[in-house]
Amino acid sequence: MNMHTFIDFIMGEMVIVSFVIFIAGTCGRLLWTFIHINKTENFIFSYLSFKYSLRSILAWLTPFLPVSSRKKPFFYSISYTFHILLFIVPIFLLSHITLFEEYLNWSWISINDTSADILTIIVILCTLFFVTRRVVVKEVKYITRTSDFVFIIIASLPFITGFLAYHQLFAYKIIMIAHVISGEIMLILIPFTRFFHMFIAPIIRAYTGSEFGNVRGAKDW
Amino acid sequence: MKRYLLIIIIIFGISSIVLSNQQSVIDRSVFKNPQRSSALFNHDDHNEKAELEDCAICHHVYEDKKLVEGESSEDDSCSSCHTLKRTEKNIISIRTAFHKRCKRCHFKVSKGPVLCGECHIK
Amino acid sequence: MQETSTKDSETDTKVIDEGVEKGLKGLTPEKIELVINQVLKNETGARLKLYIDTCMRCSLCADACSFFLSNDRAPEFSPAGKVKQTLHEMIRLKGKVSKDTLRNIVRIAHTECNVCKRCSMYCPFGIDIAYMILLVRRICHKLEITPLYIQDTVNSHAATMNQMWVKEDEWIDTLQWQEEDAREEFENLRIPLDKDGADIMYSVIAPEPKFQAGLIYQSAVIHHAADINWTMPSFPGWDNSNMAMFTGDYEISGRIAKAHYEAATKLHVKKIVMGECGHAFRSVFDVGNRWMGWAMPPVDVIHAIEFYHYLLTSGRIKIKDKFKETVTLHDPCNISRGRGLHDKARELVDMLCESFIEMTPNKEHNYCCGAGGGAINCGPPWKINRMVNNREKADQIKRTGAKVLIAPCHNCHSGLEDILHYYDQDMEVKFFGDLIFNAMDKTIYKGGE
Repeated sequence: MNMHTFIDFIMGEMVIVSFVIFIAGTCGRLLWTFIHINKTENFIFSYLSFKYSLRSILAWLTPFLPVSSRKKPFFYSISYTFHILLFIVPIFLLSHITLFEEYLNWSWISINDTSADILTIIVILCTLFFVTRRVVVKEVKYITRTSDFVFIIIASLPFITGFLAYHQLFAYKIIMIAHVISGEIMLILIPFTRFFHMFIAPIIRAYTGSEFGNVRGAKDW
Repeated sequence: MKRYLLIIIIIFGISSIVLSNQQSVIDRSVFKNPQRSSALFNHDDHNEKAELEDCAICHHVYEDKKLVEGESSEDDSCSSCHTLKRTEKNIISIRTAFHKRCKRCHFKVSKGPVLCGECHIK
Repeated sequence: MQETSTKDSETDTKVIDEGVEKGLKGLTPEKIELVINQVLKNETGARLKLYIDTCMRCSLCADACSFFLSNDRAPEFSPAGKVKQTLHEMIRLKGKVSKDTLRNIVRIAHTECNVCKRCSMYCPFGIDIAYMILLVRRICHKLEITPLYIQDTVNSHAATMNQMWVKEDEWIDTLQWQEEDAREEFENLRIPLDKDGADIMYSVIAPEPKFQAGLIYQSAVIHHAADINWTMPSFPGWDNSNMAMFTGDYEISGRIAKAHYEAATKLHVKKIVMGECGHAFRSVFDVGNRWMGWAMPPVDVIHAIEFYHYLLTSGRIKIKDKFKETVTLHDPCNISRGRGLHDKARELVDMLCESFIEMTPNKEHNYCCGAGGGAINCGPPWKINRMVNNREKADQIKRTGAKVLIAPCHNCHSGLEDILHYYDQDMEVKFFGDLIFNAMDKTIYKGGE
């Protein structure tokens, strides 16, 4: 396989494969989760309340509404920023949209490259903060395992390589290939690792919110 | 004699200016707010290297979304058909047209730049 | 007198719990492995898997825990840290846990967590860490290494259907004794036993007839003055407490709650009104009904706060003299986080007292008294640890500067008295019942007036 075929593959078929694995894996795991709940603890469904699920999820999505977030404003600011940018930057990046338009003739609004560059630096700084926190804050360090660092690295690699590729620093071609592959790895890993918390968190939140709100008449934030 | 010489020099000069002005980058003036540097492209060098004879490969003519065989459009600018934004009539934006035109061919022949930074050099 | 300087060194001495030691002696590695895996495999489901697979180990739960705060932010006391040392250890080792580790696990699960669920409110995902700690206690129960004193209360429950080995005749005798005493104040006062079709069944926890019969006297007076059509069962089922719920002995726990509900249905009452106890309320309102397959309680279950609130707002009880001294209020976990009664409690305080000062944090965010979740029931061997692990609560109370502390829960009551004494704070702990009894106009309510 020569270089061109390889690049064509990772920027073409492999992207589709990654998305298919991501979407199918996500649907599969969600389906499996609901089947598992139904099989083992189906009482959960009788406690789920749409109103209180939504109340809890919305309360926790509102910056600085939960007491927890007000107690740790610094951490939450960084965490909110990181999680929002993790989606905003890749989805609205001009280069990504350009590629998307090339293959599927479909495009949407983009952020300009300079802003994207700054936001990428912010994401990288956020991940550096997370790593530092895991090493320095003793209660976090106590429960940290190797996999926690691996997650941060996997999540930050597309941004680090993306930043280097944009500025064409070091071996451009290799970095660019690493960028594409690291993004695809991240996408593929979501349904099979704790990255899946993005889908499970609202489910747990809904259940806890329902128990607190519907059964116990209390707030859970 | 002196006058002829002068005319020859002027003609030579003008033509050399014209010839040496052969673009080494793509004209990106059509883009309103370009985010990247102009893509590197030297028309004659490229075609010589790529052994391209048929101008219509790039300078093609489409009518009603169908390729018109045997016609070419060297005298028109790309953006005269491929407008900045996709429209009913033109389904491929100028940006996508450039990218597709270069990359599809380069992938096919396994030659030439295909990654962003290989054309848009910082 | 305890000196501050000696307090830290006291915890260094390892507590030896005879119940735990005896249990450990009888265990073999094979049995440990078998029991742990049985519980993990057969008694858990999607919840545990989701909790374990989703925790991002951010440690935001740490600041929720009064144990963590009381121990100068020692990481082993953070909720996630406790799960790491207990449940996660069992899962990681696939049940092959050593006896020393088990000893550690029992201590953490039983005496270093009040299963107060405060941490669920600090976890951005809302992971129910208390559930996981209770699961560990379930395993400890099945391994028969539950701490001695709390196991004794469970044994009492199993044998007598009450927590304190109160015999049936003692129970009836105590009620009649209180009735007799109260009749000196109110001529026709009755503590109606087994009155079929009464409006409410009033239930208490076993320590009331055992040690605090005066509380039964007070509530008899309140019921009588408010002209309530009430009754108490003379037969097992009168005790609403449930220590088995906290040791993971779900079978006994279920029997206790069932006996309680059955007493109510046998007497054809409309409602169960429960005395000022938190864990008992959790057992009857939130846990016992589930064990029996009821999503929500089959009979209306009312906590004393709601009941008193009704009596005062409906005019059935009139307040003559408001309480003068400045009071503060402790929100018991099981009725604030557990039932959202904190606002009603404040309205009650307002109707009863002239001056009120808030304790912060409060309402759903209040710290546990440190005695809850069965911690106080682990008994004398663990008392000093409980005091040290509860410094944050003592500080919180001290900050209010109040002289009287209202705690509408038996567990909290005892736990708070302990820490007030230990940290040399001059403060009196009271029930709402005490305040109402002293402040009420002791004439009998006549409807329509």
